[in-house]
Amino acid sequence: MKRRYSAMSRVFTALVFLFLYAPILLLIVFSFNKGNSNTVWTGFSLDWYKSLFHNRLIMRSVYTTLLVSLLATAIATFAGTFAAIGFYSLRRRPRAVLNTVNSIPMMNADIVTGVAMCLFFVAFFAFWSDFAVWFNGVQHMVTLPARLTLGFGTLLIAHVTFNIPYVILSVGPKLRQMDKNLVDAAQDLGCTWMQAFWKVILPEIKPGIASGALTAFTMSVDDFIISYFTAGSSSSTLAMTIYGMTKKRVTPEINAISTLLFVTVLLLLVIVNLREAHMERTGQQERRPKPVLQRLTRFLDSPRGRWFRRGAAGVLTAAFLVTVILLTSATNAQPVVNVCSWGEYIDEDLITQFEAETGILVNYQTAESNEALYSLLKSGAGDYDVIVPSDYMISQLIEEDMLEELDYGSIPNFSLVDSRFKNLPYDPENRYTVPYAWGTVGIIYNTTMIGEPITSWSALFDDQYAGNVLMFRNSRDAMATALSYLGYSLNTTDPIQLREAFELLKDAKSRGVYQSFVMDEIFQKLEGGNAAIGAYYAGDYLTMLENNEDLAFVVPEEGSNWFMDAMCVLKGAPHFDEAMAWINFIASTEANLKNMDYLWYASPNQEALEQYPAYYEELYGEPLDPEIYEIMAAPQEVLDRCEAYLVLPASIRALYNDLWTELGI
Amino acid sequence: MSKELIRLRNICMAFDDELVLNNINLYINDKEFLTLLGPSGCGKTTTLRMIGGFTTPTSGDVLFDGVRINDVPPHQRQINTVFQKYALFPHLNVFENIAFGLRMQRRPAPSDPRKKVKIPEEEIRERVLEMLEIISLKGFENRRPDALSGGQQQRVAIARALVNKPKVLLLDEPLGALDLKLRKDMQIELKRIQQQVGITFIYVTHDQEEALTMSDTIVVMDKGSIQQIGTPEDIYNEPKNAFVADFIGESNIIDGVMVRDQLVQMYGRQFPCLDGGFGPGEPVDVVIRPEDIDIVPVEQGQLTGTVTSVTFKGMQYDIIVDFKGFKWLIQTTDHSPEGARIGIKIDPDGIHVMKKSQYSGMFGDYSSFSDEYDELDDASLALDEEESGDEE
Repeated sequence: MKRRYSAMSRVFTALVFLFLYAPILLLIVFSFNKGNSNTVWTGFSLDWYKSLFHNRLIMRSVYTTLLVSLLATAIATFAGTFAAIGFYSLRRRPRAVLNTVNSIPMMNADIVTGVAMCLFFVAFFAFWSDFAVWFNGVQHMVTLPARLTLGFGTLLIAHVTFNIPYVILSVGPKLRQMDKNLVDAAQDLGCTWMQAFWKVILPEIKPGIASGALTAFTMSVDDFIISYFTAGSSSSTLAMTIYGMTKKRVTPEINAISTLLFVTVLLLLVIVNLREAHMERTGQQERRPKPVLQRLTRFLDSPRGRWFRRGAAGVLTAAFLVTVILLTSATNAQPVVNVCSWGEYIDEDLITQFEAETGILVNYQTAESNEALYSLLKSGAGDYDVIVPSDYMISQLIEEDMLEELDYGSIPNFSLVDSRFKNLPYDPENRYTVPYAWGTVGIIYNTTMIGEPITSWSALFDDQYAGNVLMFRNSRDAMATALSYLGYSLNTTDPIQLREAFELLKDAKSRGVYQSFVMDEIFQKLEGGNAAIGAYYAGDYLTMLENNEDLAFVVPEEGSNWFMDAMCVLKGAPHFDEAMAWINFIASTEANLKNMDYLWYASPNQEALEQYPAYYEELYGEPLDPEIYEIMAAPQEVLDRCEAYLVLPASIRALYNDLWTELGI
Repeated sequence: MSKELIRLRNICMAFDDELVLNNINLYINDKEFLTLLGPSGCGKTTTLRMIGGFTTPTSGDVLFDGVRINDVPPHQRQINTVFQKYALFPHLNVFENIAFGLRMQRRPAPSDPRKKVKIPEEEIRERVLEMLEIISLKGFENRRPDALSGGQQQRVAIARALVNKPKVLLLDEPLGALDLKLRKDMQIELKRIQQQVGITFIYVTHDQEEALTMSDTIVVMDKGSIQQIGTPEDIYNEPKNAFVADFIGESNIIDGVMVRDQLVQMYGRQFPCLDGGFGPGEPVDVVIRPEDIDIVPVEQGQLTGTVTSVTFKGMQYDIIVDFKGFKWLIQTTDHSPEGARIGIKIDPDGIHVMKKSQYSGMFGDYSSFSDEYDELDDASLALDEEESGDEE
């Protein structure tokens, strides 16, 4: 009986551990995969780790993470230690109250903390700008910056804030274990309070401080949610960058960086635990240092050693401070431009090249969708210079006076834009925008799973493909498929037509036609053969085709949406000149060719459009398949079938929202 | 006699509106061994901490060598302290613990008196080793405090204070954590050390036996006030009130009336005594020590009573005798069986007459004899209570 019990419990334990660690193990194993699949093993390689170190976005966020974690740990350890001493000297009742108050932030949902801090900072900035304007008005000795933004500073403040409770929590017990007469004794023997602190309290609570600092550091490296809400547009921690990357597709590169992050945090935890175990052991026995250590401590305790110790501590502190000052001033003094675009929507070599040529640092962020970008901007958290929204969003932003007019004199490359793409309806006089890329929406399908060629939108509402269809997870694009199918305008404001299109979607949904509503998850699903049909953007189809040759693309006969993403500058952008330089650089033929090759979206630059096939042949040594080029840059007759989105009146936007909610995604 | 070193003048001290010390007046002579004795919460530790500089009185003056030192911080006083539970620095070895105070010291340089210099390392070493010799712990220099026994830690704590050559050493219940045998040894050891180094010791304890053994002067305290100051003999033989009489040794305290000088009336009978100075007919408290009572045959007795319990104590019997409902403790070498009627006789020098005080009627009845012994055993427990009381 007992044997069976123990065997079962062993199996159970094994299962629990399997459940706990299998996902991480899988992640680690596939970080060494040669290919870019997360399911098929194609051989061992360190390529993903190598490419990691060449990925400037990741390296910059590693640097940001380390800097913010180290600084936050140092500040929080200092503040937390003294706070703990303050708590300790209180009477029992208020101390208990404070200890409870202290532990609330740790229990609190991170998202609440994050949102609260974000709101607080934004509110403070508003107050500050009023104050600064007033202050600069009444005196001229000092000029206060009127515009503060979320960034490294707020990120650091947030990290310090959530780290302090952990330090207090680990220093507090050490203080209480300490004989409370020790401080009196030290003062009795000639110490001032401060000397007593250094000579007696500190050595006693040092283990607590060390594990508090380690915990704080781990928490900082680990944190995503609070950082996400407080970092603003100019800083991105590693966790935030990984999150941004997963929006597109989980590449083994993410596996590699996640593995590194996991190993780092694991190591820190092991160190913390080993220290604690070690402290428990030595607490009971006589501490007998090893001979080498003994000699070292004897040297350090000797008068000469004390000088050495002090010198070393001084040098280290100075080095730390200098590093911090250099690093922060490097980021402050350098001209900067904050760009927010879409995931995988630029050849990153262009950023490096731009930075090298102009000395302007590019903070490159990504948003998930036009709507997400819009709400970021509205909340005040999205503090960017350059954004790259789509046509209909641009007209809405213009309507709401959120864009700055561009200085076309500083953007000579604007003249290279194909005249077809100038003065488009979203910006009829072309005062706010420089086109970035364009493309069409169509149906992507897997030819091995679908027998006959698809030509109509009807495929997205067809029972015969039930459970194999992927639909857009945004109202405008999803409704557009139904409107196109029904032969209505994509910009219709007729509630009856909209209701009809909605019923079509709703009915198909209730019949189980849709496997799911997706955005960039569609890459994995279609590439992996997990779904057969989906509506998406032409450029993204070409990216998928690289990984799965069986996929086909069609712009349905009923017509479709063609879209233009264009670069705009936000009203009051702090780095206007840098923004102009960036836009001009991206508008160049060379940059457009590079981007076109990277994105598989069509360029609005006339030269680039014409030169691309030749550019491709030169680069890859083989001619570009004309069919692919046509999908990429749809010929005029296809464009003629298609319709661009216009901004919808507010009442219709509200209707879209209501319908979307009713659909229940 | 030697000269006065410390004076406490009209000291009052209040924590949160609660009067902890009430008008304390006290002087302490150089080279004196003075004990502050009293139950937990009587204010003795607070008085000591005030002399050490860890608390400041609410009103009144602390004078050292005639100079007011109320606001002088601890590290600037020529006073060192041996703390309850020793408060040795756990991260330092014995040598460094003792050397701690010396390393903190700065003194005028011999070449230039305006320049302050540290004590040279050789001198520190010499003085620490000398201290180790005095406390008989040579060879323990490199031990950590947690590797020492309680008695050894105690001696290190004393050495750590004494090495600074203070003018006064404060000791706060230093023997409280030791077992009985060790405590007795350390009492003698402490007295020896005090005589050897020749400085003032101010000693706080709740243990009357410790106080009687070591002190030159005992200050009995209760409820924040000094009850009596005197030599051990004075305190024992001439207690000022029922509290002192009860706290120091065993006492039967009986209500009496002074008939005239050298004649006191108890139980309707008159007893000759040596005390005087009371008004005729003044109600008084009469103290009779248990060992001053002789048991005699009933017919020869000044009083007669019934034995209610007998306890063998080795050197003597503790006999509880009922005199008209009031129970006396008698210590005698003669055995009387339980239930026996006995007579007692008290010599005039066995009777001590005290004025009535706030403590009258609170002590001296042995009806609850066994409880009182328990209370004494719980003294160490009471000590902890006092500690937390101070903190709050």
